[in-house]
Amino acid sequence: MSYLDLSLREVRDLLVKGTVTSEELVRECFDKIKETSDLNALTSTYFDMAINKAKEIDLARKNGEQLGVLAGIPIVLKDNINLVNTKTTCCSKFLENFVSPYTATCASKLINAGAIIIAKANMDEFAMGSSTETSAFGICHNPIDKTCVPGGSSGGSACAVASKQCFGALGTDTGGSIREPAGFCGVVGLKPTYGRVSRFGVVAFASSLDQVGPLTRTVEDSAIMLGVIAGSDEHDMTASLEPVKDYTIDLDKGVKGLKIGVPKQFFNEQLKGEVREALIKALDTYKALGAELVEIDLPSVDTALAVYYILSSAEAASNLARFDGVKYGVRADKYEDLVDLYYKSRTQGFGSEVKRRIMLGNYVLSSGYFDAFYRKAKRVQLVIKKEFIEAFKICDVIVSPTTATPAFKIGEKMQDPVSMYLSDIYTVPVNIAGIPAISIPCGKDKNGLPIGMQLLGKHFDETTLFRVANAYEKSTKEGK
Amino acid sequence: MAIDLNEAKKLAKLSRLEFTEDELKKFANEFEGILSQVKAIDKVDVSKIDLKESSAKILATKLREDIVQASFSQCQVIQNAPSKKDGAFLVPITVDEEGCK
Repeated sequence: MSYLDLSLREVRDLLVKGTVTSEELVRECFDKIKETSDLNALTSTYFDMAINKAKEIDLARKNGEQLGVLAGIPIVLKDNINLVNTKTTCCSKFLENFVSPYTATCASKLINAGAIIIAKANMDEFAMGSSTETSAFGICHNPIDKTCVPGGSSGGSACAVASKQCFGALGTDTGGSIREPAGFCGVVGLKPTYGRVSRFGVVAFASSLDQVGPLTRTVEDSAIMLGVIAGSDEHDMTASLEPVKDYTIDLDKGVKGLKIGVPKQFFNEQLKGEVREALIKALDTYKALGAELVEIDLPSVDTALAVYYILSSAEAASNLARFDGVKYGVRADKYEDLVDLYYKSRTQGFGSEVKRRIMLGNYVLSSGYFDAFYRKAKRVQLVIKKEFIEAFKICDVIVSPTTATPAFKIGEKMQDPVSMYLSDIYTVPVNIAGIPAISIPCGKDKNGLPIGMQLLGKHFDETTLFRVANAYEKSTKEGK
Repeated sequence: MAIDLNEAKKLAKLSRLEFTEDELKKFANEFEGILSQVKAIDKVDVSKIDLKESSAKILATKLREDIVQASFSQCQVIQNAPSKKDGAFLVPITVDEEGCK
């Protein structure tokens, strides 16, 4: 058995005991990265930096120094998270050569806890996509079936964890970009409450929806990583002052006496086949474990996708206006004047999905449409949020599938943006309401592709999410 | 609900993006599909919704003191500039000797 088969917590125990060194772990990860390089999960790797850091931590451990909770553990960052003096490309040609002058707060927190950043992960360009096919640096493959997508936009992060290139990764989630790839690759993906984790140093897509979160092999690992990256930040006014908890504290409390909400809008005739069967089986498991299932009503939840595409595109159009070919990023070779420089640089630097979202964003923000689209969508967002708050009065968590189907084939949805957008139908409402949600593995289809189950929680109640998710994972023992 | 070619051209201009006529037609077509999905919001009754409710919480966030402190060096600020000179971003002339261009 390889150390790479262990969870982050298990390998941490072995590091503490002295059974294994951090240097050995880093070397094993890099062997695996080499062996599985055809997956194209990573965009940059930092072997020398990682080995040096591992040696430092091993020495400090030998000397009996007090070390952080992630000391010596190899971790991967999505390529939209800044790490000083390394490239942050967002998998866009526009930022192909961008070198970060600073480190994102979430990455600093990992490093301060002793984590070893070994690589950056592939993603959809500027996190806009559900398959990692819009990356300017090549498609990432699903490690279970290479002809399938790993999901997106944090497809590289999910693939790296599932293929055992690292013990955990950070992704970002604006409409499902952590949970959908976690579901497709058979790992655990958490989108924390909006504001739970600082966004400082994370390249913005839709600032009011973006949230950083961990992708891990187990629920416990997810809780450990959230405990490290959560917290307020003077550099991000939307990072909440809500105190950070020990998220592992309730992991083993079980679900006896808890109420699990089953939304009738998610468990309708549209939920079909093996995903439906897997979810029904999971609900039976929860009942057997002592939870009570209660039907809940989220009358407007089916409009969340529409709200999402209006708000996220509007914010993206605004956020991506800064890419002008002047301060950083690519500049076109030929242009007539300053305005032409903007046109030419943006046209050459952005891929087609990014251009589509910028156009859509400017459409919903333009005069004559602002009230009908943007302002209306902001109001519908509040309606959806209130419906969730109301639903949580009668249940502790809500359950849903992560996606309607397991991973789809590479190329299957690239020509049809609407069908691609529909991949996020179960994940998007969570971002619209600002609540936390976790995707955990919930069986496999007949081809062996993972099926994901999503658990949704109350604002800032990640602890209960981990508790409910862990109860299921333990009962099935398929969490690793 | 569709958008016409002129509208697509206007959007391209607002977005500072260039497209060929064929690309714009393709975009206009895709927009039709996307906008028909987006119109789903029309069925929600928002007459009782006050947007001030959602901004109240953000205002409750702690603001930091406005203190002058060290930031990036000039060198760091321009390190990623595609074109630079003497510690500044280099751009095409926008104002000529007569004060306009």
